[in-house]
Amino acid sequence: MTCTLGEVKNRADFIVYWGGNPAECHPRHFTKYTLMQKSKFLPRGRKDRTMILVDIRETKSGGAADIFLQIRPGKDFEVLTILRAILKGQHVNSSIVAETGLTLEQMTDFIDRAKKARFGCMFFGMGLSMTRGKHMNSAALLTLAAELNAFTKFVAMPMRGHGNVTGADVIMRWQTGFPFGITFNRGYPRYNPGEFSTVDVLVRGDTDAALILGADPGATMPQPAIDHLARIPTIVLDPKVTHTSRLARVHITTSVAGISAPGTAYRMDEIPLPLKPALKSPYPTDEEVVRRINEAVARKPHWMPADGPMTIMQH
Amino acid sequence: MSLNVIHNATCTFCGCVCDDIELHSDETRIHEAKKACVLGKAWFLNHTADHDYPDALIDGREATVDEAIEAAATFLHDAHMPLIYGLSNTTCEAQREAVSLADRLGGLLDSHTSL
Ligand code: SF4
Repeated sequence: MTCTLGEVKNRADFIVYWGGNPAECHPRHFTKYTLMQKSKFLPRGRKDRTMILVDIRETKSGGAADIFLQIRPGKDFEVLTILRAILKGQHVNSSIVAETGLTLEQMTDFIDRAKKARFGCMFFGMGLSMTRGKHMNSAALLTLAAELNAFTKFVAMPMRGHGNVTGADVIMRWQTGFPFGITFNRGYPRYNPGEFSTVDVLVRGDTDAALILGADPGATMPQPAIDHLARIPTIVLDPKVTHTSRLARVHITTSVAGISAPGTAYRMDEIPLPLKPALKSPYPTDEEVVRRINEAVARKPHWMPADGPMTIMQH
Repeated sequence: MSLNVIHNATCTFCGCVCDDIELHSDETRIHEAKKACVLGKAWFLNHTADHDYPDALIDGREATVDEAIEAAATFLHDAHMPLIYGLSNTTCEAQREAVSLADRLGGLLDSHTSL
């Protein structure tokens, strides 16, 4: 269950940020969308809203919070599960509470406030979804948000990181039915994160050529993955010569989305927005280069035999 | 020289994708990005329209875009299991082309989301 940032801006009187530091990573989130704006339903703006920050350490975002809940590293899932138990009126064992770094009073207060809210929204960041428990943590938070709907309107939204990563999800879902971690190796899309996700594929050495665009894995991925990119023919499209370009066989310089390349980008709440480039680039766009690579591949014989995937299966 | 002004430009540096930025630019660079935060300002002001990098490189040597596209197509076509990865700092239009290419190649397709 999610919503747009416009709804949050106009309606949310109870806002939680879990495992993220928007003050430094999404600097205008508070002012433009969540905390500071006044609206018909929240005429006093910030005064009409409560913000709870949940994290393992204090960050700059703490200054904007009404309540800061500091939990022990790796205890997100436990905290979320206890919150769900409290919501259901179940007994919670005090030794389990003690492990989380919070008190039962703090967690009961969280639930009381959430239930009393007219419109609650939980934003969750990589501190939740990339630490111990990973997608189970996100699932627990989404379940809590869903269960709170027995009492009031409640939604949750991931705090998406750089640029148009939300657009990548949306476009892949639209075109293939899946958001990421896809293979077409049987001629139709299949989805299996862990098997088809890039770090796993590279670390296992399962791929024998790579096209990288809108990313610099050479600067961010684990070393064994980078080593494999250096072993195989890697092709990089990027406005700069990046770390990955240096280990690639082919680099093509492209224009910068939103600065010198036109197009569309998705906001984290999946609202598409048009880009208005201010500069004219001497370089082609990613779109043009990928299309031309695609056309060049199309002129070569197709990889799959004409009688389709069945032949492959029979081998 | 008077600067070219764009109202309600869109910043793609973070997931907020603020679409209320006022950009003041000349032919080569953006001089002002009003309403943008520190990260957004740095993003807009750090890029230029100059030809700072070679058009393309093949094995570290300068090449034309045509040559590089042909080389890229050959590498991808020759591979048994080609991978297309990234897709964050680019447009939806480029992402769509990338999906089409992965489909044609029978390859892998993945984004930052899987990290
Ligand atoms: S202006 Fe700042 S908050 Fe808005 S999209 Fe750009 S970097 Fe993000």
